[in-house]
Amino acid sequence: MLTALYQQRALVWAFAGRDLSTRYRTSSLGWLWSLVQPLIQLLIYAAVFSLVFRVQAPGLGSDPERTSFAAFLFTGMVTWNIFSGLVIQSMNSLRSNSELLRKVRFAAWTPILGTSLVQMIQVGLEVLVLIGMFIFLGNIGITWILAVPILLAAALFGQGVGFMLAILNARFGDVQYIVTVTLGALYFLTPILYPMSLIENTASWLAWIVELNPMTWFVTAMHDVMYSLQFPPTWVVPALLAFGMAVFWLGFTVFSRLSKDIGEIL
Amino acid sequence: MTEYAIEAIDISKRFSRFTDRRDTIKERLIRGKAKRSQDFWALKHVNLQVPKGSVYGLIGHNGSGKSTMLKVISGIYRPTSGTITARGRLAALIELGAGFHPEMSGRENIKLNGSILGLSKKEITDATDEIIDFSGLRDFIDDPVKHYSSGMYVRLGFSVAVHMRPDILLVDEVIAVGDEEFQRKCFDHLYALRKAGKTIVVVSHGLGQLEGLCDEVTWLDHGEVQKTGPTTEIINAYLERVNTEESARSRQVSATRSPLEIVNNELAVTSATITDQNNAPLTHTETTKTFNINVTMEITEELLGPNLRIAFQHETGPLVTMVSNHRVGADFGVLQPGTYTVSATIPNNPFLPGRYRVHIDVFDYTGTRTLDTWNEVLEFPVRSASGEIGQGFVTIPATFTIT
Repeated sequence: MLTALYQQRALVWAFAGRDLSTRYRTSSLGWLWSLVQPLIQLLIYAAVFSLVFRVQAPGLGSDPERTSFAAFLFTGMVTWNIFSGLVIQSMNSLRSNSELLRKVRFAAWTPILGTSLVQMIQVGLEVLVLIGMFIFLGNIGITWILAVPILLAAALFGQGVGFMLAILNARFGDVQYIVTVTLGALYFLTPILYPMSLIENTASWLAWIVELNPMTWFVTAMHDVMYSLQFPPTWVVPALLAFGMAVFWLGFTVFSRLSKDIGEIL
Repeated sequence: MTEYAIEAIDISKRFSRFTDRRDTIKERLIRGKAKRSQDFWALKHVNLQVPKGSVYGLIGHNGSGKSTMLKVISGIYRPTSGTITARGRLAALIELGAGFHPEMSGRENIKLNGSILGLSKKEITDATDEIIDFSGLRDFIDDPVKHYSSGMYVRLGFSVAVHMRPDILLVDEVIAVGDEEFQRKCFDHLYALRKAGKTIVVVSHGLGQLEGLCDEVTWLDHGEVQKTGPTTEIINAYLERVNTEESARSRQVSATRSPLEIVNNELAVTSATITDQNNAPLTHTETTKTFNINVTMEITEELLGPNLRIAFQHETGPLVTMVSNHRVGADFGVLQPGTYTVSATIPNNPFLPGRYRVHIDVFDYTGTRTLDTWNEVLEFPVRSASGEIGQGFVTIPATFTIT
């Protein structure tokens, strides 16, 4: 797998370059648009959940007396967006490149990874905004460096799932609709809009389900290192990385197996 | 020993017509695994050996499996059974500009396409100028390709594909791109590639084009190899089959006039047919093959040598030529009342492929009085016996010398 990835790097970059240069080419604000959508979403959710539902965020790591629901929420959103962005972009990638895949023989996963790289840049911008937000709040800590492996693991996880869904979606057109609905539900089963403590106390069966959701692991770890400025237990980050890599490997293997007839399937 | 660039051994390709593919999950759940009863074999036990450095043609009617074979060679389709070996870098001209992104400029698309075809950055940079020059699109190369005309699009596509230093070039019906000048350029380039020892596989209906280009041809029919061999031999065999099948389907060229149309003179033309040298009725004529036009007429009074004139009009309107018995010095003498059939033999059919209408006029001996006129008696197609189409309406014999 690794040799294949290395050999095809030029093509992956070429596809990334294509997506990068064409993504917002027709709009004048360009890449700013990629931030507008999450920020508006943040604004709405923050308003609704903190003002209407009165959800309380835990205390900030730098000063437990202060809380910032917006910062708490955005930490979770960014983590989620890495995962869901890669899943959705990967899933649609084969179909949007079908013209090419039906006419030319090349590794079908290369355009997917190219798209994903661009998606990572977009999420990278969100991460910058998040960092800016915490600096503004004065909530800075050495624990931040762990965000890098955590987000990387989330990306590997999302990509692995994305690979599997991509090939499924090429065969069955309804996969994309099922996935959209499922992701929508999963979003609420991840402690993004609420802290874990809120449901642990009121609905333990729900908390149990939420705990089973792998995205909960990533989001909780991010809350720890970015918001609460705490080191998670030492095994957590290696475990997340191992999990991410395993899913990536599985997705890549499944994809390589099933994509041999891609020229006919599409 | 000949070195083969492409070796296909016992290739079969099955397509499941509809049941299995592109199903919805719902149907899968309800009906279980779809039946494979709708299998369609696009290729059946096909063997091909393409020698290195040769130009190889695939011919056959639509749906004969030519394009499928090309896709199997290029690796887009995996054969259901059999093995395929292609030695060297492949470039497929299956659809020109398939990988172009409309928002990107011509130059960016050249780069991307190069990467997809497996070239290194350096190779792409080296080829870019050549590609731009060849396509003749230097002034537009930095515009997004969505603003290109379809002609410009395929020109760029062709230029990219042939300049990607392929060892094997697969060409599917795409030689006829762009204007005359660009087409000639394409052909010149294909010849140059061939000279440089590259292997080219061409799928085309333009049999005339293939004849000049290919060393060897395989004729596919319903997914099976009918014949493989030297180009001219195979093309002729193929055309013969096509023409026979066509004849079996189409009507014979003959016409009988309804009595109402006949003007009551002493002579009336009643029917006409076209036959071959052995007087067998024909449905079409073939270039360079002798045929007869037989005109039956009834004569009610003794008549001195009438002049029968047959005019040939091309389907697009122009009168091509006329023949008459007086002009060639054939005098029928005094004819007693009765039924006669005049046969006009047209040796080595000089008409070029197309459809021709026949008009008949009969004049008296002096040529001053029209005895009968029958317009649009027949319409007969002329088919190519060699694949050559030619320009204009007729071919004339010519010899050339140089001193």
